[in-house]
Amino acid sequence: MSKTEPVETPARTYRIVVAEDAYLVREGIRQVLEQEDEVEVAEFCSDLSSLLQAVERHAPDVVVTDIRMPPTNTDEGIRAAATLREESPQTGVVVISQYVSPHYAIKLFEEGSARRAYLLKEHIGHRNHLMGAIREVASGGSVVDPAVVEVLVESRTRAKNSPLAHLTPREREVLAGVAEGKSNAAIAKTLFLTKRAVEKNINSIFAKLDLADDTDVSRRVVASLLFLAETGTPFQGPA
Amino acid sequence: MTSRTPVPEDTTVAFEQLDVADEAPPQTARELEADRDVGEPSLRPVRPGIRRPTGTEIAVVAAAAAVAAAAAVVVVNGGVTSNASGYALLLVLNVFVFVLAGLAWRRARPWSPYGLALIGYGLASSLYCLASVSQPLVFSIGVLLWVPGTFFVWWLILAFPSGRLDNAGRVVLALSGAVLLLGCFPKTFLATSMAPAVPLARCAGACPANPMQIDADSSLATVFRHIDIAGTSTVSLLILVLLAVRFSRASRPRRRLLGPVYLFSAILLVAGGAYAVGVSWLGAPPTANDTFGFAVTAASILFPFGFIAAIALAYAYVGAALGSMVRELGVNPSVTGVERVVRQALDDPRAQLAFWLPRARRYVDRHGRQVVVDEDHTSTWRSRERTDGEATLAIVHDAALDEDPELIEAVGAETVLALENRRLQQDLLDSIAALRASRKRLAAVAAAERRKIERDLHDSAQQMLIAVRIQLELTRGQADPESKLEHQLARLGDDLDRALDELRSVAHGIYPPLLAEEGLPEALTEAARRAPVPVQLELEDVGRLPEEIETAVYFSCLEALQNAAKHGGPDVAVTIRLWWEPHLLRFSVSDDGVGFVPDQRREATGLTNMLDRLGAVGGRISIRSAPGRGTDVDGAVTVST
Repeated sequence: MSKTEPVETPARTYRIVVAEDAYLVREGIRQVLEQEDEVEVAEFCSDLSSLLQAVERHAPDVVVTDIRMPPTNTDEGIRAAATLREESPQTGVVVISQYVSPHYAIKLFEEGSARRAYLLKEHIGHRNHLMGAIREVASGGSVVDPAVVEVLVESRTRAKNSPLAHLTPREREVLAGVAEGKSNAAIAKTLFLTKRAVEKNINSIFAKLDLADDTDVSRRVVASLLFLAETGTPFQGPA
Repeated sequence: MTSRTPVPEDTTVAFEQLDVADEAPPQTARELEADRDVGEPSLRPVRPGIRRPTGTEIAVVAAAAAVAAAAAVVVVNGGVTSNASGYALLLVLNVFVFVLAGLAWRRARPWSPYGLALIGYGLASSLYCLASVSQPLVFSIGVLLWVPGTFFVWWLILAFPSGRLDNAGRVVLALSGAVLLLGCFPKTFLATSMAPAVPLARCAGACPANPMQIDADSSLATVFRHIDIAGTSTVSLLILVLLAVRFSRASRPRRRLLGPVYLFSAILLVAGGAYAVGVSWLGAPPTANDTFGFAVTAASILFPFGFIAAIALAYAYVGAALGSMVRELGVNPSVTGVERVVRQALDDPRAQLAFWLPRARRYVDRHGRQVVVDEDHTSTWRSRERTDGEATLAIVHDAALDEDPELIEAVGAETVLALENRRLQQDLLDSIAALRASRKRLAAVAAAERRKIERDLHDSAQQMLIAVRIQLELTRGQADPESKLEHQLARLGDDLDRALDELRSVAHGIYPPLLAEEGLPEALTEAARRAPVPVQLELEDVGRLPEEIETAVYFSCLEALQNAAKHGGPDVAVTIRLWWEPHLLRFSVSDDGVGFVPDQRREATGLTNMLDRLGAVGGRISIRSAPGRGTDVDGAVTVST
């Protein structure tokens, strides 16, 4: 998320559609995005159907959508992401949510993690938080809010016979970075490590956890998220 | 009705109180006070014996004693009878047996003419003593008293139990009257002296001469003699046949009444017939004459015992019938069941329960059909009237049971009790069902209300705080980095984050959005993630269930999970299971913690909470625990599909 290398990135403009039904939050998002020169907000919507129509109209690079909107006020944002996966696969989707529950993040990524981000709403005022995610999904990556990953890592560490018990504290930090969707370079930067050290840590983690390493960052996110979210026996079918 | 009746009286009071409670619940304190005075009579023991004799009864017994004594004096001082003391004793016995039987009958059946008839006959039988008087005319009249005496006994037999004769009875009695008159004719007008038929009354020497003799034609005497013998035996036989026919045609309750009286009557008739045939006609030797004579004497002394036996049998039958009724009615019987038991108790297979319909103003049977009373063969017992003046229940029964009042009263009272009991039980069940339904509705309303509050929190308060949080961060971005303002804004941001966390957990505690959106397994998975202790999950995909059931199960599991975390000790691990059994959603929360003695921590375990939650949706829960053995919380909810 703190992948801020504007010098390297050629200046481009992201065309964005925002969907948020709460007026005050929508105004907040407007102000956050107005600060950014690279962003052009094509339309503000306030429910699922107007969002999908706006996407059709504007073909945006990225959609920033509330998770819970009319008509049902449940998980419209995630359903929008699933629909857009089919209808507009090149559009990135940043779901902004008030739920820390990893359930929603996992649900979002189950359909495929490329060009998807899950952020907590209260963090979008933070510098580069929203913008970083927009850039990431636009370029095919994935982002998960660190607060969500934290819940997963904590609960997974607590579990009996947890495989995370075998990881060093440093390795756990690196794993959290992986789950947040960071590139090796980004992890190295946040943890003040060399890129090489990060790679070594990742190899060790994936070996200890018996996960297949993947150089594709977004697939790596899903693997680590699902691993972290695993709790006990998987659901059985109805008896 | 003095000391024998406390039981029925109390029963009545109980009913009246029930009725009052039904019709007019509000009572003033004074009324209640008065009620208590009525409702708590000083406790008197139920005496199983017979009630004390009334003044009339004592007078009757005294009269019987007086006439019996007088008769005995007459017999002993008459100087005619050979075995004077024996005959005197026989007369005394006869008087008392009939008088006592009559008193007993009158007590049990005050409306029946038989009480008075038996008493009257007993008192009058003392006149047989005249056959011991030496004055010839008095002696002869004394001997002839046998004729009206016998006639009266036959009437007693034929008119039983109503005191009225049917056509056949009238014919037979008329015939027997004629026979008696003809039979006594030769004795009265042709015999030089009359010999008493009773062996004990035999004259010491020659009997006093017959002053009424008009001729001594022995051949004429023989003709009448044969008429007497043939007539008496024929009439005896006729009466026997009539009794047999009546008995065989009688309903079972009627047979119970007729049986003992008919039995002793038959003994008397057989003995009399045999005497007539054996002694007089076949010319049996004098010793046999005595034997037959004594048999008749014994049979006539025994005869009143038929009435006593009938009453005793009726009482014994009431006891047995009530006993079996109480047993049979033990387990909340249906109305059909009650009717069956009533039929059994009355021994009347056609007895019928009839229920009063106040608005239609008629009695109906258990199928709701109007009850038609056949006045000739049935009679109707009605329960005591309620305050509105109508008997609620009637029993249509065999008319013969009118002669069995203790039985019908006792069975009636027991039936009213059983039906009242049944109604109360039904009312109770109804109100339990209503309570259960209302509890379930409340639970549903509560669940919906919780969900609404959660929505409001998420959609308004939380959104506003989030908007403020975003604005705060934007403002901080404009402040000079590392300035005092920037630090203050950062601290404010942290505080706001904590407020948001707090709000989130409050909203979650009220109604987890995941539970509303995804159902139990997802919500429990999330709860396990947030739990401060390791949780193993074995959750079947139970699908979606009514909101109130999901809420009850979810919060019960959460409560158990929190208990395990709080009290289970440092190394506790929890397993939550959720699965289906047919029509039953089951769940369990087990831990391997330190455990406890269940009784001591009932409150702390939140068992009451869980019981309330699950009870409201018709579920149940149990907790098993012991020190060092962990804790198992087991729950089940019936889910109608």
